[in-house]
Amino acid sequence: MRQKILEVESLTKYYGRQGSQTKALDGISFQVLAGEFLGIMGSSGSGKSTLLNCIATVIKPTRGQIRISGTELGSLKGRRLAEYRGRSIGYLFQNFELLDNLTGRENILLPLSIHGAQGTEGMRRLQELAEYLEITDVLDKFPSQMSGGQKQRIAAARALILGPQMVLADEPTGALDSKNAKSLMEKLAGLNRDQGSAVLLVTHDSNAASYCDRILFIQDGKVFHELRRQFPQESRQGFYGRILQVMAQLGGGSANVL
Amino acid sequence: MFFDLVRRNSRRSRKENGIFFSSLLISIVAFYIVLSLPQQDVMAFLAQMESDAVSRLLQMVPLLYGVTLILLFFLVYFASKYQLQRRSHEFGLYLMLGMKRSKLFAMLLAEDLWSSLLSLGIGLPIALLLAEMISLITARLVGIGILGHQSAYSLPAILWTMAGFLGIKFLAFLILSGRIAGMEIGGMLTPLPENARLQRTAFTHKACFLLGFLSLAAAYALAILGFAWTSLLLMGATLALGLAGTFLLFYGMRIVLAALAEKSKAGSRLSVFTFRQLQENVICQPCSMAVSSLLILAALCCFGFGAATALYHTGQKPHVLDYTFQCDYSDVDVEKLLENNGILQRFEDFFPMYVGYIQRGDDGAEPNFEMAEALTALAQMPPSAERDTLLHNLGQMVSPHLISLSGYNHLLAIAGENVIKLDPGEAAVYMDTEFIIDRNLMNQMLSQEPEIHLAGESCRLSGSVQSLSLVVDRAITLSFALIVPDETFGQLTEGEHDTYWDGVLRTEIVEQEGLLQAIMQTNQQLGHTALRYESYLQNVGRQLFYQTAASYITLYLAIIFLLIANTILGVQFLMRQQKAGRRYQSLIRLGSSYQALCGTAKRQACWHFGIPVAVAAASSIFGICSLFAGMLPYGMRHDIPKLSLLAGATVLLLCLAEYIYLTAVTRASRKHLLKLMEPGREE
Repeated sequence: MRQKILEVESLTKYYGRQGSQTKALDGISFQVLAGEFLGIMGSSGSGKSTLLNCIATVIKPTRGQIRISGTELGSLKGRRLAEYRGRSIGYLFQNFELLDNLTGRENILLPLSIHGAQGTEGMRRLQELAEYLEITDVLDKFPSQMSGGQKQRIAAARALILGPQMVLADEPTGALDSKNAKSLMEKLAGLNRDQGSAVLLVTHDSNAASYCDRILFIQDGKVFHELRRQFPQESRQGFYGRILQVMAQLGGGSANVL
Repeated sequence: MFFDLVRRNSRRSRKENGIFFSSLLISIVAFYIVLSLPQQDVMAFLAQMESDAVSRLLQMVPLLYGVTLILLFFLVYFASKYQLQRRSHEFGLYLMLGMKRSKLFAMLLAEDLWSSLLSLGIGLPIALLLAEMISLITARLVGIGILGHQSAYSLPAILWTMAGFLGIKFLAFLILSGRIAGMEIGGMLTPLPENARLQRTAFTHKACFLLGFLSLAAAYALAILGFAWTSLLLMGATLALGLAGTFLLFYGMRIVLAALAEKSKAGSRLSVFTFRQLQENVICQPCSMAVSSLLILAALCCFGFGAATALYHTGQKPHVLDYTFQCDYSDVDVEKLLENNGILQRFEDFFPMYVGYIQRGDDGAEPNFEMAEALTALAQMPPSAERDTLLHNLGQMVSPHLISLSGYNHLLAIAGENVIKLDPGEAAVYMDTEFIIDRNLMNQMLSQEPEIHLAGESCRLSGSVQSLSLVVDRAITLSFALIVPDETFGQLTEGEHDTYWDGVLRTEIVEQEGLLQAIMQTNQQLGHTALRYESYLQNVGRQLFYQTAASYITLYLAIIFLLIANTILGVQFLMRQQKAGRRYQSLIRLGSSYQALCGTAKRQACWHFGIPVAVAAASSIFGICSLFAGMLPYGMRHDIPKLSLLAGATVLLLCLAEYIYLTAVTRASRKHLLKLMEPGREE
């Protein structure tokens, strides 16, 4: 049995004051197992990004608990919180968030620099990731000299350089064309398979979501449906078809679902 | 709605740019204080006594005002430029929403006017208060008393301050808004990434850095070897090389920072980020950094040179005498006259100083004076420029002044120095400080006790060279005179001599009334007599006043230079940090702690200030030395090591000022970073 690395329990996040409150997350609960590739889908404003930001400790939830490998995130403060952000999770942003005045190599090594973990091991890992993600040619270029796909692969290498337990990917294919999006998802799925880091992918893109093992559909701050890919008999295309079916009915509200 | 937006935008600008706003306030105060100078008590008082010197200083006020205006224009221009650049997205948005360009222009103008009026509203009362305080404090310090105090308030000064300040603000605004008017909306909304400039070929930058370094080295060499002062052309070449060198150096500086970024990979946390940020700052603003560096250099030179010479001058000549009465007619008994008028009791000491010439013979021939042995002794000293000048000057001496020993010894006793003992047939040499050139050289020559001939009589020179002022008025200086025993004096001058009556005021009176007031009172009493006299105050008016005024002006300019350079650097740094806010947020998401961010921001600030200051400091060593070599009077040259120490000390003091500025900037930067740490809702 695989270990649970993320446990989200009755997570609630309200914005605004009483009277004009928006319930971004309304008591959401789920778990992620080690090495799992979990997708989170939903329409705009459903609470996907809020959920991801709560897990990334970028925002504080109103109520509920998030545990990473048994540690309650609310109890982390100061240095331990910073360590968690850098070492336990890797973050992949929709708009890459590369530092545009640093070269590709410097961007990838940034987490090592932040956490004081430079050394030969880091260099070896950089080389390994760069080769796998096919970015060795652009390591010494600045982001403005790279294509969107290259930027996102650099960002992926940066998210993985410290070997985090989980990668949080917020619409990573959102700013890419279909070819680059496909290539990135294949690489991410490969890394997930080979390196065992869990991936939590928030996306609108059904194609990207088809690389996941499991997908949670969120609406109005609640999990309202879950899809699991049937291994090994179900192909990615087949899973994609099922995702499209759910997506088609998402707009109609819970009464129309399956 | 429009005015509400104007008010809110203006408040935001002030909040984001506290350093700039405070600098504007200081500049208003500086304007007013210079312009209200004629109204200051001390000035009004001195104008009565020494109207010539004061009016000369006051003639310089418009010039100072003009220079300050030009410099402040640069400050306003640069700081406003960063502010507007940062808001370009906002302007693009206004235009997208259908705001006309004319309306945008009106809005920005209104914002600028509102913040200018606010600055004047706060700055002018502070300036008025400060000018009043300066007037009262200086009056108290120099002892004129505050009874006759008149307000330093001056309407023309207020109007000129307002006109100058609003004028430069408006001019800077016109130039900058002209640039905005020419921009496309797309360019405003998504400005080109600045790091696109990172990709340019490194060769030109390397060449620039090397050329800049060589130009600076050449300028330093010209300055330190003294060539710069030999002709206007060479002076121009030195300045041009220095200026071009500084600009080229800053243009090529990116190479050094890139190399540091490459090297620092294994260094401390976030060091690559630190150097890349710095590199970007240098790439985007090489000109303003070079200008800041040059302004700091100017400040350092002004401070170093001005303060050193001022300190040196004030400590140079001791204040011994308060009054000298000159009496041309031997039948007037000055002492008796003063006693009859009740003035003599104001003096602690009153004594005659006799100064005369060797009388010509009956045939009217030139008096017999010859000092060949002394000149030979001097010629045997090791060769130096000083020795040659002394030989030339003394060789021209045909008939020296004579000073009677008793009067000079009295002077020495009052000054608290040892009196001179001269046997008959001996004489001591008196030379004014400005003519000594090299005191050691003269004393070495005198130690050989050379023989001279005075009216056919041989006489030995003894002791060391004397230079205590004989009278209060230092405009009367003796380039070379001989102090001789009273009998010899009587014989040589045959009773034909000038008598100067020197007086020292009673200590109690001076302590009670203050020196200036004591002299003023005595002057009033002396007004009833027909005596000709000079007071120490007039001397202050003539000599010390010029020096004080000159150092006041150099220090004032130095402060303005420093203020502008530091504000440009500070505002530039904080604006760039705000612009890089997203990068800092990425670092936070990657797990960077607040302390680590503050650490990198502080290092960046240190380098950002440190690079221009270091370049300026290196240049200032050569600059100050060159100023000493070229502008000091000849008599002070041998004191250059002492002066350099004084200059060094003032430069250190300036470094302290830099440190204070740096602390203010890092504090503002920490505040901004703390704001970034609090996540907001982005989605």
